[in-house]
Amino acid sequence: MKKLNIICFISHAVARSIMLLTVLMALPLGAAAQDDVLVVTPTRSMFTLDIGYASIHDSYLTPITYDGIDLELAYEASRLCKQGHWQWQLNVGADYNYVENPAKNNDLQKVMGNLSFAMQHRWANAVGGKVSLSVGPMTQLRAGIVYNAVNSNNPVTVRAHWNVGAAANADFFTRLGRKPITLRYRLQLPMVGAFFAPEYDESYYEIYLGNHRNLAHLGWWGNRFDMTHYLGAEVRLGGTIVSLGYRTRFEHWHVNNLKVHDVTHAVVIGIGADLITSHH
Amino acid sequence: MISFLIYHFTHRTVAHCAVMLQAIKKVVPVVHCCLSCLLLVCVLGGCAQQDEFERDQVGNFEALWTIMDEHYSFFDYKQVDWNEVHSRYRALVSNEMTDRELFDVCGDMLKELRDGHTNLIASHDVSRYWVWEQWPVNYNERLIDQHYLNFDYKRASGIKYQILPDNFGYMYYGSFSSVIGEGNLDLILSYLSTADGLIIDVRDNGGGYLTNVETLVSRFIGEKTLAGYICHKTGKGHNDLSEPYAYYFEPTKNHIHYLKPVVVLASRGSFSATNNFVSIMKSLGQVTIVGDTTGGGCGLPFTSELPNGWRVRFSSCPIMDAQGRLTEFGVAPDVRVDMDEDDHTHDAILDTAIGILARATAPPRLPRRGNSAPPHHSDN
Repeated sequence: MKKLNIICFISHAVARSIMLLTVLMALPLGAAAQDDVLVVTPTRSMFTLDIGYASIHDSYLTPITYDGIDLELAYEASRLCKQGHWQWQLNVGADYNYVENPAKNNDLQKVMGNLSFAMQHRWANAVGGKVSLSVGPMTQLRAGIVYNAVNSNNPVTVRAHWNVGAAANADFFTRLGRKPITLRYRLQLPMVGAFFAPEYDESYYEIYLGNHRNLAHLGWWGNRFDMTHYLGAEVRLGGTIVSLGYRTRFEHWHVNNLKVHDVTHAVVIGIGADLITSHH
Repeated sequence: MISFLIYHFTHRTVAHCAVMLQAIKKVVPVVHCCLSCLLLVCVLGGCAQQDEFERDQVGNFEALWTIMDEHYSFFDYKQVDWNEVHSRYRALVSNEMTDRELFDVCGDMLKELRDGHTNLIASHDVSRYWVWEQWPVNYNERLIDQHYLNFDYKRASGIKYQILPDNFGYMYYGSFSSVIGEGNLDLILSYLSTADGLIIDVRDNGGGYLTNVETLVSRFIGEKTLAGYICHKTGKGHNDLSEPYAYYFEPTKNHIHYLKPVVVLASRGSFSATNNFVSIMKSLGQVTIVGDTTGGGCGLPFTSELPNGWRVRFSSCPIMDAQGRLTEFGVAPDVRVDMDEDDHTHDAILDTAIGILARATAPPRLPRRGNSAPPHHSDN
């Protein structure tokens, strides 16, 4: 009983913190007008932690595929727009991979930052009120480095991508026993964009000297493919939403005779809240 | 009582299972859709699998040969028939050999490239082709410390420096891996600024960071100067090289420069970044190179690895001098001198440098009047 109280206390404290943060962010909107009808719009605000498996192949650094652990911390927020037919979705996160070669005598480390924003059309109460679907355009910025400590003049490679594409959500509302539960599937599918890649054996020293030819590339499904899937379940514990899911990210590109092929599979633990903000 | 508990437990369990089954039935289409998408991911992931070599001895040999075939940049320049090398060394490899035996065969194969930047690195050994091991050392640190510096010298940023009795500055820089601080260099050149000329000794300097080359050279130029050209492999073919890119060094702003006569001392041990430094300094008007031909190594090395974890380093990005020439086999000095190995008190290369600076900094002679007899001795 004591343990349960502590858990409840912690979950409420986290929920209150998230709520305060989001209310502060949304305050200017609420204060904009005084005379209109008050519209209450919940903002889904979640912090997630991914823990799982990563596989990295980057032919600029090594011809060998490395594998190891994947960690990611992210913040997700989504909110319905005024009419309720559209919603925006924001994701900010950072992921870290520590992977080893099959011989277990060398490692790579990858650190990436991720920012994406999607505007989705929403069909609520589809399929007899049990399903909510949303689909729309998305833009994504991912940037970071992959580092190989033992290489001589190719110890690091920079990853930088900007993409536009589609993002989709499917929420299925059901019960597990007497407990309401939401099963959620989420897809991020970049389609076109721009990305950075050095030439085949071009050193970053040469780039530093000023040779910037052929570094920026148009990305499309012919040379770059990237998608992220998430499948999870959400339950409410008081005012707190707790989620457990699985996320996989697949990233492949080939340009300048270089190949990158990264895959992650991770268990995702999330905690957050539906925060009530209002606008007129 | 017991039967009641069993009945109650069974009844509750069945009821729970029924509810769960009902929920699962509702969820199945959504899960099915999601799993289909995930299956697509796995299929796409499988399609993009890389070509990897077997981890046995033959696989590692083939991986090494292929890495070099696709990345090494001097096959044509050195006229090496890499396919012929493969057939010759492949015959020596079998899966029954030990790691040490395989290492020796692979190391010998790499020596065919005659490249000091090419090494096979394993836990037990490093294969090498170090050209300087086959030539006179032409440098004796103890001799200089004792007989020229009298063990009295300053040291900063890996640079040993002092003003010699003839009022010529002397700097010894033993490794371009020692990072040169701009502030340290200011203090060094400030101290040496009263000297009439400067000797920069980079003998036995095996190289290091090219950024240190720029830091040092930038103190001896008065204007933007063409340093050389750099290119890189653009594909797997032996001749897939980019257009040479001209790169320039500029004088460092707000720092001390030294534009008086300079002599650079070089030896076969002056390799890689040092070879690059000598090639750039040689193109400057006030600089004379004295000593032996440098050790070469003008290809910026990259590193790759074999399935068994051995690493291989190789020349990947050729760097040319300001005339567009490769200096893979070294930079020839302006004045060729060897040290006398039996003379333990004189450094012939350093003495030659002092003589060159003495001539370069001597005041011009006034023209003689009349037919006076020539002097009995010269101050040369």
